[in-house]
Amino acid sequence: MAMTKQEKLDQKAEKLYEKKHKNQYRRTPADWTFDILNHAFFLIFTIMCIFPFYYIFINTISDNDLVRKGAINFLPQGIHFKNYVAMFNVNDVGTALLVTVGRTLLGTVLMVMASAFVGYLVTKQEMWGRKIWYRCLVITMYFNAGLIPWYLNMSMLGLTNNFWAYIIPGVVAPYNIILVKTYIESIPGELEESAKIDGASYMTIFRKIIWPLSKPILATIAIFGAVGNWNSFTDSLILMPDAPALHTLQHKLYTYLNAASNLKSVMNSGAGTISGAAATNVLNAKTIKYTISMVTVLPILMVYPFMQRYFEKGIMLGAVKG
Amino acid sequence: MNNEKITDKLYIVFRVLCIAALIVLFVPGFNPARISELVPKTSSVFTCGTSYGTLTQNFLRAFNRGWVGTLTMQMVFGGCLCMIIGFVATAAGGCMSLGTNKLKKLGAIPSVVGTVVALVGCFMINWAANDIQGTPNPDRVVPLKPAMLSLYIVLSVIILVLSVAIFFLLPKVEKEEKCHMETKYQLFLLFLPFLALCIVFSYLPLLGWRYAFFDYKSGETLTMSNFVGFKWFMFLFQNEATRADLVRVLRNTLAMSGLGLATSWCSMAFAIFLCEIKNLKFRRLVQTFTTIPNFISWVLVYAVAFAIFSTDGFVSSLLINAGALESGTNFLMDNSHIWIKMLAWGMWKGLGWNAIIYIAAISGIDQQLYEAASIDGAGRFQKMWNITVPSLVPTFMVLLLMAIAGILSNGMDQYLVFETPYNTNTITVLDLYVYKLGINGGRVPLATVVGMFKSVVSVALLFGANKISKTVRGESII
Repeated sequence: MAMTKQEKLDQKAEKLYEKKHKNQYRRTPADWTFDILNHAFFLIFTIMCIFPFYYIFINTISDNDLVRKGAINFLPQGIHFKNYVAMFNVNDVGTALLVTVGRTLLGTVLMVMASAFVGYLVTKQEMWGRKIWYRCLVITMYFNAGLIPWYLNMSMLGLTNNFWAYIIPGVVAPYNIILVKTYIESIPGELEESAKIDGASYMTIFRKIIWPLSKPILATIAIFGAVGNWNSFTDSLILMPDAPALHTLQHKLYTYLNAASNLKSVMNSGAGTISGAAATNVLNAKTIKYTISMVTVLPILMVYPFMQRYFEKGIMLGAVKG
Repeated sequence: MNNEKITDKLYIVFRVLCIAALIVLFVPGFNPARISELVPKTSSVFTCGTSYGTLTQNFLRAFNRGWVGTLTMQMVFGGCLCMIIGFVATAAGGCMSLGTNKLKKLGAIPSVVGTVVALVGCFMINWAANDIQGTPNPDRVVPLKPAMLSLYIVLSVIILVLSVAIFFLLPKVEKEEKCHMETKYQLFLLFLPFLALCIVFSYLPLLGWRYAFFDYKSGETLTMSNFVGFKWFMFLFQNEATRADLVRVLRNTLAMSGLGLATSWCSMAFAIFLCEIKNLKFRRLVQTFTTIPNFISWVLVYAVAFAIFSTDGFVSSLLINAGALESGTNFLMDNSHIWIKMLAWGMWKGLGWNAIIYIAAISGIDQQLYEAASIDGAGRFQKMWNITVPSLVPTFMVLLLMAIAGILSNGMDQYLVFETPYNTNTITVLDLYVYKLGINGGRVPLATVVGMFKSVVSVALLFGANKISKTVRGESII
């Protein structure tokens, strides 16, 4: 690996340049102050973003008497997990969790499958009236009739106080369809052509070629769909007035954060399910609110760091329109 | 040849009727199953035939006291189910009519069977309607004549006659003929269920706009007697109270959206400054943690606010420990500077996330530009201002235009959760106002009118923004 003289010289020059370059913007006091302030700002903002969750968490696992006195601010004391056990024993939080998990799983799976299939279909130029139907789908992203007509429509369809109200309207998601369509269009057409020549039907092509190849985009819309389902709150609030058993976790949390009367009933029902002496120690108004908050936010906190790249991919895809 | 023309014409009528039959199944106004006042007003044939519980939700007493036999209602349920199955079968026949001759002939079978089943359903409901007339307590049960039944009978009979006629007009099936359909129709039929869902959930609500022209109270039906024309449109502007409300709400909406617009450059600045941090691990950490709040719901943001700022929250207990406060204060009840506070929560939630698009844009900037600038002696800040910022401006403009188009739609979640009796005057935005007016207050027509204005103005703004984008950048944003 003998280097020519010229190359050696080049390298030397580069190093010198880099050194000079580095010095150039490491030297000035303005740079130093800027760097320090910049780091400080981001550090503080990051702490502001994450500390509240930490604060809630340590308050749910610390000794409840200390929590009530407001003594737990930075470090947990007397760690225990009884609050969570007690929370799951409270009936309506359990059902709310079940409903939320159910709608998240079912809603997301159906949405992803439908988006993949429809996204594939609308790439087919030979479909009868493709342009018109596709426009029909896209327009709905920009225009809606408004809250009240939507509500009246849902109640006309019998989708009030009905679990399916969470699932069926979300199956066709125009934005996700556009994302999938754009992605499928980027898959080389030769793959499909050769399969067609071998006699594969549209369904086979979809199952064997399009579905596996578009997995990255499907993962992205799945993750966004799941978060959306998990977080959705207004549909439960508006559509389920007479079916408390169908309220989502977010809705339950909202109710608990607001109503003191609810807390009493929880404490009573909590006392019924766990031993009486422990009940007073385990559940007080503050810990109940914090524990439900934590139950509601934990799945997102746990999933997010692993799925971050999918999320980021999602927003970049949003910039590309079909 | 002539026959073919006739069948083509007949098929058009046939398909239209099939679609109509499917639609009426969902409209509560056309429900023949309402054989008594006890059947809920908002139920359609579809709900009656799929949920026995909904159909008989008011019948508990009637069953117990023997006013109505369970068999009667079961007949109604069965009848509705028959009509649903029948019309679905007919529609299947309609789909098959898009195929070749043999498929068309085969398609006549489900159509004929379907209409016969639907007619049986009509007969069952008719029997139940007659049966319920003989109730021992007509004051409570209030039997109704199922006037709409004739509509279903007429529909079924016409479809039946049409499909039989078409069947005989079609040429004979050759032995070697195969069932086949052109690709374009196959694809369309695969797409059709999803299109139907889209229409049902996105276009059908537009029918709800008709409520704006009626004097409607929830639970009632629309009749010509309560048609009021543009009364509610006038009312909105002529009535002192609603006008004042509207002005207040619009002020809040525009103020909070305006603050959002005025600070939309912050995420760009966030991205630029974050990219100035050379330690990649720290940068990654910041990015991960600052984007998390974007993925929690507004209810959870409120829970966070509650934990930090409520009477026994973090800030209170810190201040008490420091001796600055005697007892805990609920900062959330403080109703000053609500707009700024809402902006702050919005930024806490969205700043990190909104910066991502700019970060991606920054990493796409050609490094040679920076190198060239360094050689020319540009300092760090000069490079940021003269290279990075101009490169991000196009992205910024697109996002700004989108934000302007959505100026009236700030959503209701955030303001709903942060609303207290003390700040309701300054926090109620248009979306929240419509919700409170229509859903909580039950003033459906008025809320619909407000919603209509919002929808129309939003679309106009969107097209306006798009037009600007087209003329200025030569690219559309929608």
